[in-house]
Amino acid sequence: MNAIELKSISKTFGDYTACRDVSLAIPVGEFVTLLGASGCGKTTTLNMIAGLEDATTGDILMNGARVNDLSPVQRDVAMVFQNYALYPHMSVARNIGFTLKMRGMGKDEIRSRVEKVAASLELSTMLDRLPAQLSGGQQQRVAIGRALVREPRTFLFDEPFSNLDASLRMKMRAEVKELHQRLGVTSIFVTHDQEEAMSISDRIAVMHQGRIEQVGTPEQIYNRPATRYVATFIGNPRIELSSAVVVSEQGKTYCTVGSTRLALPSPLESGRKIEVGLRPEHVRLTDEAGIGAVVRLVQPVGPTTHVTLEWEGGTLVSSIPGFVRLARGASTRFKIDPERLLVFDQATGKLLQ
Amino acid sequence: MSYARLQHGGPLRRAFVFLGLTLFVVWSAGPILWLLLTSVLQQKALIQQPPDLSLENFTLANFTAVIASAASLGRGIVNSLVVASFSTTVALAVGAPAAYALARLPVPRANGIAFLILATQMLPGIAIAIPLFIVISKLGLIDNVFSLGVVYLSFNLPIVVWILRGFFLGIPWGIEKAAAVDGAGIFATFWHVILPISWSPLVASAVFAFVEAWNEFFFALILTRQQAQTVPLVIAQFAGQYQTVFGQMMAAAVISVAPVILLAILFRNQIIRGFADGMMKG
Repeated sequence: MNAIELKSISKTFGDYTACRDVSLAIPVGEFVTLLGASGCGKTTTLNMIAGLEDATTGDILMNGARVNDLSPVQRDVAMVFQNYALYPHMSVARNIGFTLKMRGMGKDEIRSRVEKVAASLELSTMLDRLPAQLSGGQQQRVAIGRALVREPRTFLFDEPFSNLDASLRMKMRAEVKELHQRLGVTSIFVTHDQEEAMSISDRIAVMHQGRIEQVGTPEQIYNRPATRYVATFIGNPRIELSSAVVVSEQGKTYCTVGSTRLALPSPLESGRKIEVGLRPEHVRLTDEAGIGAVVRLVQPVGPTTHVTLEWEGGTLVSSIPGFVRLARGASTRFKIDPERLLVFDQATGKLLQ
Repeated sequence: MSYARLQHGGPLRRAFVFLGLTLFVVWSAGPILWLLLTSVLQQKALIQQPPDLSLENFTLANFTAVIASAASLGRGIVNSLVVASFSTTVALAVGAPAAYALARLPVPRANGIAFLILATQMLPGIAIAIPLFIVISKLGLIDNVFSLGVVYLSFNLPIVVWILRGFFLGIPWGIEKAAAVDGAGIFATFWHVILPISWSPLVASAVFAFVEAWNEFFFALILTRQQAQTVPLVIAQFAGQYQTVFGQMMAAAVISVAPVILLAILFRNQIIRGFADGMMKG
């Protein structure tokens, strides 16, 4: 059974539509990320799942039952917020225990559960401190503790790490993933950080202008992006696309970018206008026969070097393992693996084949 | 200019700041110092031009005289305490939930309502004095501390609502969302989360309301006779028909401003922070 199912939910604020026709089914125990740029409707979607905002239309089901009219508590969700949203006047222990107090639990039981959660998050020595006396990472752990102590059926994360510095973010990411693997609680995570989404999720729903563009595993999203938007939004460096036209000649199909002929992974009708692109790691520089290009920019980042090329089809980025010595303006050649070519319909932006 | 230099400034800049602050202190503290001085001077020294400040003219006789006639001043202080405490307590008890509702709950036309609440304060006192007097006298509540308290409440409540609403509007939404997810309803959120973090503006608006009620003269004059007279009226009585006993009047005034100044000193941090927070997002 699906822990959560969104059936074409929409949300409008006056004239503005934050979410349109969002449908998503999340099986029990899955970790799903809503990924998108700011304003894409991901947080609104999360708030509707949480019960903090009403869906304008559509149904939200949890374990098969419609929950549109239930409060967050009745939906049994716990949430971790972007700015932690800790209660500034309460100690760490009271912050974590507040939700239990609201449920009328006895003091002794609250204390024992708070202590258990605090121990698992390495907060035991800080129970009497106020949030202002904690570092950002510790505050975030308190926020997670507040969600954990309830033992809820669903965890919701609203950009929980965006206020942390890079190294702490990586650490918290790993902690949350381990936590999920340990507890197996259905989780929905909202972020605009594609790398975070890729590294933490079972599945990713990429959102754009209030719609879900694609739902899939990180691998599907990365290697088989359903739309041009997903292709360019996911991946760093960004994929560059070139306009091309399909040509069929003597039973062979290929496409032309300017005067360059590229083989297609599968046949298409002749004359169709398309856009083609390659992930940077699939663009290989070669000394042999290949497509001519000029080096415009060389950016080593450690494990790889990003080389920006200028060619007939525009720009193209090649990621090459290690460090490479190339001068700006040098002529080079590159090769394409046709199987790796991503082909989009120019009009609809949809992935072909 | 570096930030540090902006912070500390050069000698000329510092001199200007110092001069400005000095003028402001003299402007604010001057009347109070004059009040204190007058209260310990003999009448004859006081009415000389310029006042004779030689040491033998200083006396505590004014205070002993005022305290000797303590019946009226004592009653005035008690009345003022009752009136000010009543109107402050009720203003906070009613105003804080109202302000929260206007700031946070889906109240239709909340901004319009908030403006109307403030608009009630835009009438000059004299415009409502006569109808108010008629209503209260028909109710037989002239010279009654509680009717005066209710009148002050009507002045204090809008101010309290405005100060607190400004503060509540500035609280990040996240904390209330967190409370909702934690299972707190509107009242529990207000009581356990919002009120405890609003300590500064609560204290600031309480002190403001208390001082307003404590110092008010005009409505106290027309709505009381004898039993319900508040401190400002008692002080005014030292100005008699044939002579004004300045020294005793000022001694009475010193006694009456003492609690107000004490409040201001005790809660100065909350007052400053409370008003600053409230004004930030009005």
